[in-house]
Amino acid sequence: MPPANAKDALHGTLDALILKTLTWGPRHGYAISRWLRDTSSDAIQVEEGSLYPALYRLEKVGWIKAEWGVSEIGRKARIYRLTPAGRRQLRAEVARFAAFIDAVQPILLSE
Amino acid sequence: MPRIGRHRHQLGSPLWEAGAPDEVRAELDFHLEMLTREFEARGMSRDQARAEAVRRFGDPARISATSLTSARERDSAMRRSHYIIDLSQDIRFAFRQLARARAFTVIVLLTLGIGIGATTAIYSVLLAVVLRAIPAAHPERVVYVAERYQGQTSNMSIGNFVDVERQATSFDGLGAIVYRSFNLAEGEAPERVFGAAVSASLFKVLGIPAALGRTIANDEDVPGNDDVVVLSDGLWTRRFGRDPAVLGRTIRLNTRPYRVIGVMPPLFNPTISDEQLWVPAAFTTTQRAQHDEHYIDVLGLLKPGVSRQQAAADVDRIMVDLVARYPNANIDRRGTVTSIADVVLGNLQQRLFVLFGAVLLVLLIACANVSNLLLARGASRAKELAIRTAVGAERGRLVRQLLVETGVLAVASAALGIPMAAAVVKVIVARAPTGIPRLTETTIDGGVAAFAIVLAVLCSVIAGLIPALRASRRDPQQDLRDGGRGAMGTVRDRVRSVLVIGEVALALTLLIGASLLIRSAVAMERSEPGFDPQGALIGRISLPEAAYREPTRVVQTLERIVDALTAQPGIVAAGATSQAPMGPGGGSNGLLAEGRAPTPANIVDTRLRMISPGYLQAMRIPLRRGRAFTDRDVSGTERVAIISEETARRLWPGEDPVGKRLQCCEGSEADPRNKTVVGVVGDVRSSGLGSPIVPEFYLPIAQAPDVAWDWIQRSMTLVVRGKGSDGSALAGAMRTAVHAVDATVPLDRVTTMNQAMATSVAPARFNTLLLTTLGAIGLVLAALGIYGVVSYFVSVRLHEIGVRLMLGATGRQVVRLLVVQGLRPVVIGLMVGLVGAAVSTRALASSLFGVSSLDVPSYAGVTLLLLAVGLLATVIPARRALRVAPRSALGG
Repeated sequence: MPPANAKDALHGTLDALILKTLTWGPRHGYAISRWLRDTSSDAIQVEEGSLYPALYRLEKVGWIKAEWGVSEIGRKARIYRLTPAGRRQLRAEVARFAAFIDAVQPILLSE
Repeated sequence: MPRIGRHRHQLGSPLWEAGAPDEVRAELDFHLEMLTREFEARGMSRDQARAEAVRRFGDPARISATSLTSARERDSAMRRSHYIIDLSQDIRFAFRQLARARAFTVIVLLTLGIGIGATTAIYSVLLAVVLRAIPAAHPERVVYVAERYQGQTSNMSIGNFVDVERQATSFDGLGAIVYRSFNLAEGEAPERVFGAAVSASLFKVLGIPAALGRTIANDEDVPGNDDVVVLSDGLWTRRFGRDPAVLGRTIRLNTRPYRVIGVMPPLFNPTISDEQLWVPAAFTTTQRAQHDEHYIDVLGLLKPGVSRQQAAADVDRIMVDLVARYPNANIDRRGTVTSIADVVLGNLQQRLFVLFGAVLLVLLIACANVSNLLLARGASRAKELAIRTAVGAERGRLVRQLLVETGVLAVASAALGIPMAAAVVKVIVARAPTGIPRLTETTIDGGVAAFAIVLAVLCSVIAGLIPALRASRRDPQQDLRDGGRGAMGTVRDRVRSVLVIGEVALALTLLIGASLLIRSAVAMERSEPGFDPQGALIGRISLPEAAYREPTRVVQTLERIVDALTAQPGIVAAGATSQAPMGPGGGSNGLLAEGRAPTPANIVDTRLRMISPGYLQAMRIPLRRGRAFTDRDVSGTERVAIISEETARRLWPGEDPVGKRLQCCEGSEADPRNKTVVGVVGDVRSSGLGSPIVPEFYLPIAQAPDVAWDWIQRSMTLVVRGKGSDGSALAGAMRTAVHAVDATVPLDRVTTMNQAMATSVAPARFNTLLLTTLGAIGLVLAALGIYGVVSYFVSVRLHEIGVRLMLGATGRQVVRLLVVQGLRPVVIGLMVGLVGAAVSTRALASSLFGVSSLDVPSYAGVTLLLLAVGLLATVIPARRALRVAPRSALGG
């Protein structure tokens, strides 16, 4: 079902993107935004002002968990990883998104 | 997944080492650094890269702010979740540990269970009898308005009440109550019913409307229009089957017809006197002018915002004026306002609070015991706790876990204690003497159960805090190395000694209090009553006013009844009196010796008894001087009186009163009607054993003032004495005699004098029983506590004892060493306790009779008892050590 309002829509999409990113392994905040940029060829550029609140929110509801660890440059960084609950949530989000596409595609993308 | 568990995986991670702001900043700084490096990698210089990164990053302040908010929310959610997880973990762990240490758990449960159960039981009694407010619309504003005479609260006279009602400004209403017995004749069997004549305003003072019909209206509170009655719920149920058609019915009270206008709800009980019906007081003009018969009760409703002190000052001011206007009627009288509880419960309040204090002492001793047990347990778990500390558990966590364990024990004890309290309450209510108002309303309800649980939690903190702190403080290395042995603590274990000192002091205070009360009770029961109760039987009769309006007829009938009684087989002596010892009725009058000026100093307030000639012999009240009344002391002959020794002492100190004349009760300036004293009798403790001696005087019924029969409502007590020592066999004879003279006169409250005396001392005896029981429990607990601590001390020194024995010390020397060490805290405790007892027993001073609060035999006796118990509790483990020690020394 499509999200209720714009903010939720944004949240929902961003959440799903972050969760999906983490399925490829634990990452710190910068690595998540970098990966999203690289994979979408710079189409998706997450603002830092949205990224971290989203990460903390996801952490609060328990879909991701964080630990301070050592980064590749030797400095301390907060490393996020997916939790089993997060995995389930991601599956639900993806299913929702796919249903949305299926519903909209015949209307918007037909001539 | 349940929300509680969602952070389970993050247990153990040092999440909050830094605060949220620092964390967020660190994370954002890192991100900035990574961005900078990315731009550097694209070929920018460091500074350029940095500038570009900052530009890309956005406004750091705003980002920080929003991030921070989210971070904080996240952190508090996690903290809450962690806390609950930890707590549930602690509780589960506690259960496992306690299940493993079964003996320990059982002992603690029993100790605390008894303590909490007893405390809860007494608390629930206190709640029902003392603390719960009298049912009224505004209970905090309902007060008892009274006179004060010789320092005591006293009833009012009707005249005074009328003036107070007219002049007082502090009340929204005042109502008078005159208690009376009525002969209720309605349908079948007539019965005696206790009720009251009340002002119409009384119902407004209490603000409780009738459950059925209505209450007395103002215009019915007038002589001539006052033939209405309001029934109590009890009477309506018992005699009228809760039939609503009772309204409008006419019933006969004391042969007068009254129309039923209403029924009150069950909770209406203004002074907890359980009266069954209410008729209008309807004071006549004569009564309203009468200032000198003080026998009515008055309740008042304070105006909102008026304090009790203000109202008391108001009433006192009016009384001072009344004393000036009617000096002979109001000698030495002042006014006051007090709570109904004070009047109804009297010193019962104090007794119950003392009882509550005693049970709290027992609870404290129980807590001390539990504390001791926890200390021992902490020592035995030293190794386990050491391991946990070494692996990183912080002290706060350990303390909390140990406290939770104690808390689980305490709550389990409360679960044990509540049913125990219910059982104790049942026993108390069943065995308690009659006359304790509202005792039967005692129940263990939700509020009381909550009290028990709160008590349990408090106990767990009191008992468990120090052991928990100590157990978590240990040096882990030391404990692990010793394998737990050295963790037994030092020989001079201060905390344990302090616990013993405390227990002994508390037990001493408790037992001394109990001992003082027991000796009081014994002294009271041994005190001379002034008459011989053995073999005497009394009964109460009331001559209905309608048939016995003329005083001469009253006297004639009484004389015939007494003659009929004496004629009965088995009855050796018989008499009648207006008030028998410990009986209802009676009033007091001022006596003035002839020739003295009627000043307050010369008038002696004296209790009046109107008696038949044979009464003094029947009661075996000793005649000290002169003669008793005879049949020749009748109306028309010289007026005579007999006074008690106390009265003689007050009226004519040092002189022989026989032949002197006194003035009282009737007469005027022109016709003084003085009476000649013909005899002096011994003092009688009329209010029961242990009551103070008050002045009394006697008049023959044939010469009693006409108005006196109104004072006592034509009710008299008959006394008969037989040959045997059991008066109850004479009850039938008494009934026959009364019936033969007039079958319509009811005889009730037939009881032996012994029974009446027993009833009057019953409350004190019961109180003593309860306190003694508490004292015994406290003693046993304290003994167990001492035993436990000494055993511990001994076990610590086992090795050393064994060595001493091997080196040649005799058993006796070793035992003496241990006993001295063990007794030291006991002796200190005794000294502390003696001081504490001396101070706290002052609170008992008003309950004591014939015993001072510093009664040496009590103090000495209890001290020796505790010393002996302490000695026993010390010697037994010491001697046992002798047997075990050698093995320990060899085993090393």
